[in-house]
Amino acid sequence: MKIEIKNLKHKYPSGGEALRGINTAFEGSDPIAIIGQNGAGKTTFAKHLNGLLRPTEGQILIDGESIHEHTTAYWSKYIGYVFQNPDNQLFLETVRKEFEFGPKQLGVPRHEINDRIDFVSELVGLKHRLSTHPFDLNATEKKFCTIGSILMMDPKVIILDEPTCGQDVEGNQRLTEIITYLKNNDRLCITITHDMKFVVRNFDQIVVMAKGQILMSGSKNLVFSDTKTLLESYVTPPPITRVGQALGLKDISFSKEEFIDHFTRRLHQR
Amino acid sequence: MTSTLIQVSHFSYRYNQESEVALKNVHLEVAAGEFVAMIGANGSGKSTLCNALVGLIPNYFVGYSEGRITVDGKDTASVSVGELSQTIGLVFQNPFNQLSYTADTVAEELAYGLGNRGVPRDEMFSKIKKIAELMQIDELLDKNPLELSGGQVQRVALASAIILEPKILVLDECTTQLDPIGSEQIMDIIKKLNESGITIVMVDHDMERVAELADKVYVLQHGSIVLGGTPEEVFCSPQLAEFSVSPPDYYEITKNVIQPGYREKDFALTESQAIALLQEVLYEDRNQEPQA
Repeated sequence: MKIEIKNLKHKYPSGGEALRGINTAFEGSDPIAIIGQNGAGKTTFAKHLNGLLRPTEGQILIDGESIHEHTTAYWSKYIGYVFQNPDNQLFLETVRKEFEFGPKQLGVPRHEINDRIDFVSELVGLKHRLSTHPFDLNATEKKFCTIGSILMMDPKVIILDEPTCGQDVEGNQRLTEIITYLKNNDRLCITITHDMKFVVRNFDQIVVMAKGQILMSGSKNLVFSDTKTLLESYVTPPPITRVGQALGLKDISFSKEEFIDHFTRRLHQR
Repeated sequence: MTSTLIQVSHFSYRYNQESEVALKNVHLEVAAGEFVAMIGANGSGKSTLCNALVGLIPNYFVGYSEGRITVDGKDTASVSVGELSQTIGLVFQNPFNQLSYTADTVAEELAYGLGNRGVPRDEMFSKIKKIAELMQIDELLDKNPLELSGGQVQRVALASAIILEPKILVLDECTTQLDPIGSEQIMDIIKKLNESGITIVMVDHDMERVAELADKVYVLQHGSIVLGGTPEEVFCSPQLAEFSVSPPDYYEITKNVIQPGYREKDFALTESQAIALLQEVLYEDRNQEPQA
């Protein structure tokens, strides 16, 4: 599935210009991270990708077809958006009903819905919580409930808006498993996050936004080497990368292993 | 002499609907002016403890408690949440839950607590102006709270707690919605508040930040405090991994490239320490290079 964005602009009714001409295209299944300062337009942008918001100007083409050709309900079959605040998304009495809702709307047969519930509840870690009321879940379980309910619809593209908020070590690991699963199953995952440790562990395609525009995009090597542009978007590289940069190590480090390797080489390089 | 401001004595708590206890025999003392961090996996009881410190437990939530908590000499079970809030303020984990949403503007939202306190109108305006500058939300004052982005709501939520000038500020993951620089700015503000004498109790998953800021760190697991001490004592503890907590990245990289016992300290917990230590290693090793 290919999403093309051409000169996308969005003005809110209050007059604020949230997006000021975005040009890019997403394709394939290599996960993409969108990073950048608060109010940069990340969520506004993501909500355009399945028609939750409509362009004030410009175009969005999905597999060549204009987004205007269909309703948001239609596009949601292919492109699922997981809300930033789970309380804005959950509305049924049990986790199971939340999970069933999407595929039921799509007319997925009962037995397949049940199979999907087995698989998805395991993946998002809510197998033991299926009969719980979503409002009795803790904050991160709620987030996984919203992710699960979108996974249940099995879209080709899935957008996660700030999934890392409040996650502990285990939650972050679970998110990694979900992102890996999507990639291995030829699904594109686009994730908005402020957690740079999480970004460098899971993504090699990064889009940096600031003030309603894309400031730069590319591999993590490219993006995190350009600290000056990053700073314009209120982003700093993750801890290990920063130490490597401060020491002037030649190669950029993202993981502990990389750092140790690069540092040791520098020690012996004389 | 520092005085104990918060005293948690053998406190246990179980929520009404749950079969498992959320807090189990928690014992904790916080001295006036201290910066305390609480860490641990989700579900370990950190937020429950926050709610107990400000009196929402047992006064608001329904459940069963044992033991006693005193804050600035007041027993949390015998005074109202309103009275306690004069001393201790809580910034909720979900900033969307902090605001009353009964106000049409952010300024009115910030005036809400002050109004309940009977702060005179003129004083209210000057306080709102001051806090708005501090938190960089001047431009939001006339906006409807419902129009704000996640990061903006978080700044307003913090402002609404700080404006009441509590002696103790309890922060339950208060920067989750902020971009990295915004997050650092807020932490600088918190640090300055602490330096000015305000006691801080902070729940956070960012270990680099905890190591940088906290005087004391407590690790919770299954409702109990299982480890506590200075950041160094906690992050160097061999038990740490059992409690699903990792030390700051700075610790792991320095520990791995520096020979044990090679220096007085063979590890670092903060960014500046790590850079200084590793620079020293690079520099000294060059001096020790054998003469050809």
